[in-house]
Amino acid sequence: MKIFLVLGSSFLVLCSSSIKLFAANEAPGTKNQEQVAEIYRPQAGKFPDIAKAHAYRGELIFVDHANRRGSIRVAGEGMFRRNDPHPFAMLPYGMVRYHGAPADLRDIPLGTMMHVLAYLPPDPRISAVPVLPENNKEKDAGHYRGAGVFPAENHVLLIEDEASYCLREGKAWKLKEVELQSSNQGIILATLEAKPSGDGKATEQKLTFDGALRIWRGRECLTIAELIAEGAWPANGKKSLNAQSVLLGLTWKPTPDGIFQRFHISDIWLDDASIQRAAKNQTETHTALIRGRWMPAFVDTVEYGKFGRATVTVTLFGGMDPSLYADFNKDSPVMINGAENTLKHDGGHYGPGHLASRGTILGVVKSPGAVPMGSSGIQVRFETDLIIEGIRPGRVVRIHPKGWPDVVLPREEYLGDGPRQEDRFPSPAIFPKYNL
Amino acid sequence: MKTLFILCSSLLVLGSSGVRGIAANEEQKTKNQAQGAAPYRPEAGKFPDLEKAHTYQGELVFVDHANRRGSIRVRAGSDVLYRNAPHPFAMLPYGVVRYHGATADLRDIPLGTMLHVSAFHPPDPKISAVPMVQNPSVEHPAENHVLLLEDEASYCLRESKVWKLKEVDLQKNHGMVIATLESKDGGDGKAAEQKMTIDTATRIWRGRECLGIADLIAEGTWTTDGKKTLGGQAVRLGLTWLPAGTWENRVENQFHITDIWLEDTALQRSAQQQTGVHQALIRTRWMAAWVDAVEYGKFGRATVTATLFGDYDATLFADLAAGSKMMMNGAENTLKHAGGAYGPAHMAAKGSILEVTRVPGVAPIGSSGVQVRFETDLIIEGIRPGRVVHVRPSSWTNVAVPREEYLGDGSKLEDRFPSPAIFPKY
Repeated sequence: MKIFLVLGSSFLVLCSSSIKLFAANEAPGTKNQEQVAEIYRPQAGKFPDIAKAHAYRGELIFVDHANRRGSIRVAGEGMFRRNDPHPFAMLPYGMVRYHGAPADLRDIPLGTMMHVLAYLPPDPRISAVPVLPENNKEKDAGHYRGAGVFPAENHVLLIEDEASYCLREGKAWKLKEVELQSSNQGIILATLEAKPSGDGKATEQKLTFDGALRIWRGRECLTIAELIAEGAWPANGKKSLNAQSVLLGLTWKPTPDGIFQRFHISDIWLDDASIQRAAKNQTETHTALIRGRWMPAFVDTVEYGKFGRATVTVTLFGGMDPSLYADFNKDSPVMINGAENTLKHDGGHYGPGHLASRGTILGVVKSPGAVPMGSSGIQVRFETDLIIEGIRPGRVVRIHPKGWPDVVLPREEYLGDGPRQEDRFPSPAIFPKYNL
Repeated sequence: MKTLFILCSSLLVLGSSGVRGIAANEEQKTKNQAQGAAPYRPEAGKFPDLEKAHTYQGELVFVDHANRRGSIRVRAGSDVLYRNAPHPFAMLPYGVVRYHGATADLRDIPLGTMLHVSAFHPPDPKISAVPMVQNPSVEHPAENHVLLLEDEASYCLRESKVWKLKEVDLQKNHGMVIATLESKDGGDGKAAEQKMTIDTATRIWRGRECLGIADLIAEGTWTTDGKKTLGGQAVRLGLTWLPAGTWENRVENQFHITDIWLEDTALQRSAQQQTGVHQALIRTRWMAAWVDAVEYGKFGRATVTATLFGDYDATLFADLAAGSKMMMNGAENTLKHAGGAYGPAHMAAKGSILEVTRVPGVAPIGSSGVQVRFETDLIIEGIRPGRVVHVRPSSWTNVAVPREEYLGDGSKLEDRFPSPAIFPKY
């Protein structure tokens, strides 16, 4: 069976030369590329420069988690509701964070406001989402939408919810005033500032809430009525909240009175203990996922030996819980399987372990100094007696250390026998095109 | 502008004759049909008989909420779940989604949730938004148009069932629970025991508290390691599925517990929260209904009778009262509003409510049993008997909906009849 995979994988590699035929996804403006001063695209096998990422935020509208892509309604200066959902794809090492913890796209509720760091497609020919002109973010989309709502930078290095963003940036929302307009809805005035103390110059923002608001305090999940009963919030009318420092979960709801853009609070974490509990829960969810799906990595080098032997060095992708990296230890057995940019496993009918290369870890090295986002900075070197085709420098692989469960995966998370290019290179054609 | 809309809407109706060309969705006649056993299909303008629904259970794998469709990994007897490719489904226009014991939208259900499904054959195969099933099987039933989609907690509440926890066996940060699904009033003791996994991501709800395994251990309710008898403790569960077992050492359809509601109060709080989410949604997207009758008057006047779809919170129906104003807009089977670039109210028919009546007897699932009769001075094209419309009492805030939730100028058939081609073939 292993011989079959090697043959099958060769077929896959050969097939990639004909991608052009079906992708129908040429980057507009590539002819002008030489004339453009600098167009930065991430390269296979390298983690991109964070300074060159384009940052934006928006509402998660659609998720195709099996192909690590989706759509987001990007916030600009204009009428938010008019912005068509904008397709995005995760880079293979792209990270998702939710409630201050690592996550998978499947964990994020639709409607959540997300912060995004993204790049132009690394290879427009095989982009899983539509490719746009490189300068698209500068164009006014018209119809009161403004510029920046359809950025060509749609390959994502980091996508994170509001709480994760604030935790990473050391920020907090300071609640200035709450106004109850009825027993179950109202407006909060708040500023987003550095957590210890802001400079007092942050702009006040109006945010709505309603009866679905979850208010987290320690292990409690409270309602508006309970805060009113405690006297913390008024039964009606306004009350000053004295810049109470909290973290928020944000979404968006249609707004009346011609308001272009106003966000809605889904969750308030009143104290550190409550967000830590949420983060712990999300961390456990993600840890269980990765242990079942294996740790993704880039192949750095392959030193071929005789009769199929090889020594392979990989760099593990970043953003996971430290307990997962701690499971990679010298002299312990390991399995490594080929994967795609979507992180789908090659093969897989009998589980990813069936056709994976097996070997022993020769060394685990943590690179000194700053680690680029997307990378763990951890290199694993191992030797196998039967190298498989998918393990080539620059390619994405998934690696399984001793102690992790050896389980079969659901059908949408592996390639199968690989005769269909769509499995490896998902077509961007599934994303609807909207007229006005 | 309204004239323009009427023309456009006419175009939409005419355009439906060309649907066949884009749908590429011809239903293959099954052997049964050839032998004269035509399948039961819901009809436009009528709520189907729940007794004729096919029921199954599965894991939610994909959601396209704007088109009210998705995919589910269907549980098929003792076959291993992981091998079953996601099975596309579409909600019927009056199809009901329930989550945490409350009405929901597809967008509210987390991917991975185990759901109970009651479904029918496509009402009209030519315009099905999901692929027709050529060779039906247990894991790929031809009944892919859904009347009722509900999570485990909602199912148990509707069926008056509870999970009775017999034993928990913890090993470090994960474990196994043995439980039976029984009638709330007392089982007959014959229910089969089921093994389900738990881990430190399992949320345990008690009153206003959201606990973890560690909290129960700290209280002495559960033990750190090893087994503990739970004495048939009655709870409600949230379920998902996680990969387990290998090809050689199979684990058959073992589910994973995401949530445990230890008491009724805890689940009522979850239901209240979900109700709040859904109420806010409907107040901005309007209530869906079917047009029962249109009596045309002169110069565009008409009196329209419509039956509101079911399962909205009672407070929403209460906003419709005789003598008050309301709006009615055309919609599609996906519940997308017709028109909409300026908000659904822009082109909607406006008028006064003449009467609100409740049809006697038990309303079928999908129907509220509430009929509203109203008079408008300018009827629009989308309001025809058997068609789906949206209704907005005038007391609701007038807002515009996001781009993916309305049709636009109707020039693209795909907007009205979403192609099933987006679903991958495995």
